[in-house]
Amino acid sequence: MATERIKSEITGTVWKILMAEGDAIDVAAEIMILESMKMEIPVESPVAGRIQTILVAPGDAVDEDQDLAIIELD
Amino acid sequence: MKAAVLREQNTPMEIEEVQISKPGPREVLVRPIAAGVCHSDLHFLDGSYPYMLPTILGHESAGIVEEVGKDVTYVKKGDHVITCLSAFCGHCNKCLTGHLSLCQSPEVSRPPEVESRLSIGGETVHQFLNLSSFAELMLIHEHALVKVREDMPMDRAALIGCSTTTGVGAVFHTAGVEPGSIVAVIGCGGVGLAAINGAAIAGASMVIAVDMVDSKLELAKAVGATHTINARSGNAVGEVLELTKGGCDYTFEAIGLKATAEQAFQMLCSGGTATIIGMIPVGTMVELHGVDFLMEKKIQGSNMGSNRFRIDMPRFVDFYLNGKLHLDQMISKHIKLADVNTALHALKSGEEARHVIMFDQ
Repeated sequence: MATERIKSEITGTVWKILMAEGDAIDVAAEIMILESMKMEIPVESPVAGRIQTILVAPGDAVDEDQDLAIIELD
Repeated sequence: MKAAVLREQNTPMEIEEVQISKPGPREVLVRPIAAGVCHSDLHFLDGSYPYMLPTILGHESAGIVEEVGKDVTYVKKGDHVITCLSAFCGHCNKCLTGHLSLCQSPEVSRPPEVESRLSIGGETVHQFLNLSSFAELMLIHEHALVKVREDMPMDRAALIGCSTTTGVGAVFHTAGVEPGSIVAVIGCGGVGLAAINGAAIAGASMVIAVDMVDSKLELAKAVGATHTINARSGNAVGEVLELTKGGCDYTFEAIGLKATAEQAFQMLCSGGTATIIGMIPVGTMVELHGVDFLMEKKIQGSNMGSNRFRIDMPRFVDFYLNGKLHLDQMISKHIKLADVNTALHALKSGEEARHVIMFDQ
């Protein structure tokens, strides 16, 4: 099964996870919200599929380019 | 209350009826009197910086305290305040080492499991930068505001809430410009003009303003620029190097572009420091010639002028009232909340300085 790794574009903190492992996901759907320098930044899926793994939890610090989730492609 | 709600990027905001929560223990309800329309709002409107939607933009405002939470002792109903997005917790490593503007503590916003500060019919409206000032009321943490003297005009005070603090602070705090220094500022919007004004107050011997719009270069002269360069010539770097006979001690980039950030570095003399204030779009890389580091040239970022706003903003108010800080020229028009989309469109065109929303009282 082909997969897509969702990366963080920015250094910040995971504020809220909006979806769960196993959920079906559409292009541009929001997976989680990061907080960085007072900004609430959505992490959107660039692909459609199903969330295989969420690699972070609320409160985790994340770096730019860090993997946040893995999507199984449709 | 009425507020300008952004539901989709690159679409006009709509004036909608929004519900605002009651103040929590450390929260303050503020009735804004004036709110600046800032170029940074445009970055979030056009999506160059992603943000959760729906939201209410606006982050540069001054107003009057309407109600305070039970644990708030710093302000009371009726106090005049300026709001600031650099809300600080006061006890993290950044705050305790004096870098309050870098505080990332989530405790200044409400946690996800608690009722959101703003909503429409039960739907969460994401508060923008813990402020959302394009609205008739603001519910904010007590560490997101500062009391100011009541003889300060509210429209001028609003500008101190972001652009002034960002530009002047970058000069005073981030870069630490010394008297006699040679300074260049690229971009003469609200923040760039504030940096020019700040460099003049700091005693820079030469303050070079660089922009592509002649009217903005004229404004730059009015707030302290000693020289101006219209970058339409295509050789702004060469002109600065020639004018300064070797480069600047300090440069400031106040646009947020890769090309101008690189030019800011190229305009330095040996040992000089480039400070990038502009919001460069997420994902953009900046390229420099590595050999320039042998000349001890430095480049750094600046967020909200590395402010300690509870100290800085009252000082900037004094600077305005004693004639050092030129805020009158920064406001090109007073508008109503309903005209906010037009104001953002005017910012995009680059021809005007700043529109300030005046709320009905």
